[in-house]
Amino acid sequence: MPKHFRTSLLNAIVAAVSLAAIPLCAQNQPYKGPRTADGKPNLNGIWQAMNTANWDLEGHSAQAGQVVALGATGAEPPGIGVVEGGEIPYLPAAAQKKKENYANRLKLDPEVKCYLPGVPRATYMPYPFQIVQTSKVILISYEYDSAVRTIYMDNPGPAPVDSWMGWSAGHWEGDTLVVDVTGLNDQTWFDRAGDFHSDMLHVVERYTPGAGNVLNYEATIEDPQVFSKPWKIAMPLYKHVEKNAQLLEFKCVEFVEELLYGHLRKQPTK
Amino acid sequence: MLHFSTRLWCTASCAALLALAGGVRVLGQGLPVAAKADKAAAPGWSPARTADGQPDIEGVWTNSTLTPLERPAELAGKEYLSQQEAADYVKRLLQQVNSDRRDGGTQTDVNRSYNEFWRDRGNNLVADRRTSLIVDPPDGRIPALTPAAQKRVDDARAWMQEHATDGPEGRSLGERCLSWTTAGPPMLPGPYNNDTQIVQGPGYVVILSEMIHDARVIPLDRRPHVDQNIRGWSGDSRGHWEGNTLVVDTTNFIGEYSFRGSDANMHLTERFTRVSPEVLQYEFTVDDPTAFTKPWTARIPFNKTSERVYEYACHEGNYAMTDILAGARAAEKKR
Repeated sequence: MPKHFRTSLLNAIVAAVSLAAIPLCAQNQPYKGPRTADGKPNLNGIWQAMNTANWDLEGHSAQAGQVVALGATGAEPPGIGVVEGGEIPYLPAAAQKKKENYANRLKLDPEVKCYLPGVPRATYMPYPFQIVQTSKVILISYEYDSAVRTIYMDNPGPAPVDSWMGWSAGHWEGDTLVVDVTGLNDQTWFDRAGDFHSDMLHVVERYTPGAGNVLNYEATIEDPQVFSKPWKIAMPLYKHVEKNAQLLEFKCVEFVEELLYGHLRKQPTK
Repeated sequence: MLHFSTRLWCTASCAALLALAGGVRVLGQGLPVAAKADKAAAPGWSPARTADGQPDIEGVWTNSTLTPLERPAELAGKEYLSQQEAADYVKRLLQQVNSDRRDGGTQTDVNRSYNEFWRDRGNNLVADRRTSLIVDPPDGRIPALTPAAQKRVDDARAWMQEHATDGPEGRSLGERCLSWTTAGPPMLPGPYNNDTQIVQGPGYVVILSEMIHDARVIPLDRRPHVDQNIRGWSGDSRGHWEGNTLVVDTTNFIGEYSFRGSDANMHLTERFTRVSPEVLQYEFTVDDPTAFTKPWTARIPFNKTSERVYEYACHEGNYAMTDILAGARAAEKKR
């Protein structure tokens, strides 16, 4: 390869890398993308995270999976991590529990049992979700387990009862949709690595449209029973641009019946 | 706030338990016939438009009613009730399903463990006092199944009876938290969780049924259905507007899902028309020539409610499945 060509290739790579970095850096630029009829940023669309946060929010290497028969298809992919500062600030007792969760993750992860994923986990599961936006409510329909939540933009008051997907109150701060999520039960996890919370969990999500087909997602997580201080995750979400993109059914209940009830089946009589 | 807390409690915790209470029916406090119009549009009234120009059908709606889907045998030939007949009918029905009665012996009493506190079926008939929700055929009954479909239904029923407690497959789809006969599509009134939330975003209508948190996100851009190989419990829905009526076509149903005898060939057409600020008229037509000898249509008024739709975590709270199977295994050991 001629030297000058190598140089220009290098320049091209540098340029490409800088360009790629723009969407993330552009968060503070004024938003120029499409708006809804009421003048808000248009978040309508089918979105999906493109990372391995659902395996482990913290940075992690690849490793063998939990089910030998699955071989490479069940192995855990690596990930650079989405936690600001790198580490989740567990209180000492909670750190111990997280370790136990991790050791027993195949048995304890609620995702294995097809339970509703909670917030923020629903956002970065390896399934698309669709935002349907109006001025009064913003509905998010998730493909995984047909989970769904309504974000009330009209101040719905305090959560009436704890639930799996919580109680979401939204408002706009400039071009950012801020969602205050309370009323979450203590049954969900943050990822497959056993990261957990109590029913004191309080999540504040921030959805900020970036350039192109990117929606920047941030969630601040607060739970005084489990964490020593609030902590934050951040990641871009990407829009599905296929013309025929649509959510399909992933009702996994049927797929876990054998796992949950198989031991209670009638045994054939000899 | 009694009503509020009842609904909420029920939504959060009694999912699978109520499924078991199939023998115990409905209820209400004893008020007669609904006052709301559910038939013709109010003269001169037309729905407002959403930001993207759709007729506005947003909000939370309830399809609670005591009117049965099919005309009861004792009302054969009688399409409508008079006001007096309707009042008597409601009174009789409410007495019949009154779970606070103590007559009939221990087993009957146990079967009545859920009373009206747990239910939101309401205490009204549809406003025009029609004796069935089915409007076509005119006898108000589901048309006969084809011989092949009848055999399929009979075989399935016999299998279920024989294997009722052998494993999860012997239980109904509702008890398995896979789908619910009232959640739809098509949507029918049931004993509880009768609320439906509609959200209209640009190019889409979302129909969220509180029963097992099913949200159908329906595109309005006239795109074709997904490939025939892609099947779902809720099928594949496509919508378009005909004047003020939202028409939703649904195909690609899963074979195991059977609505009153339907099979995977069911083509369902639903029509939503807001006829007044308070009433959304819902009509559905089942067309499935391999299952039914002719198409049939039902009409159900959806009334506006100020309620919100709450989470119905059916599977997550399904202790009943474990208990049914574990109970059967324990009973076998005793024999």
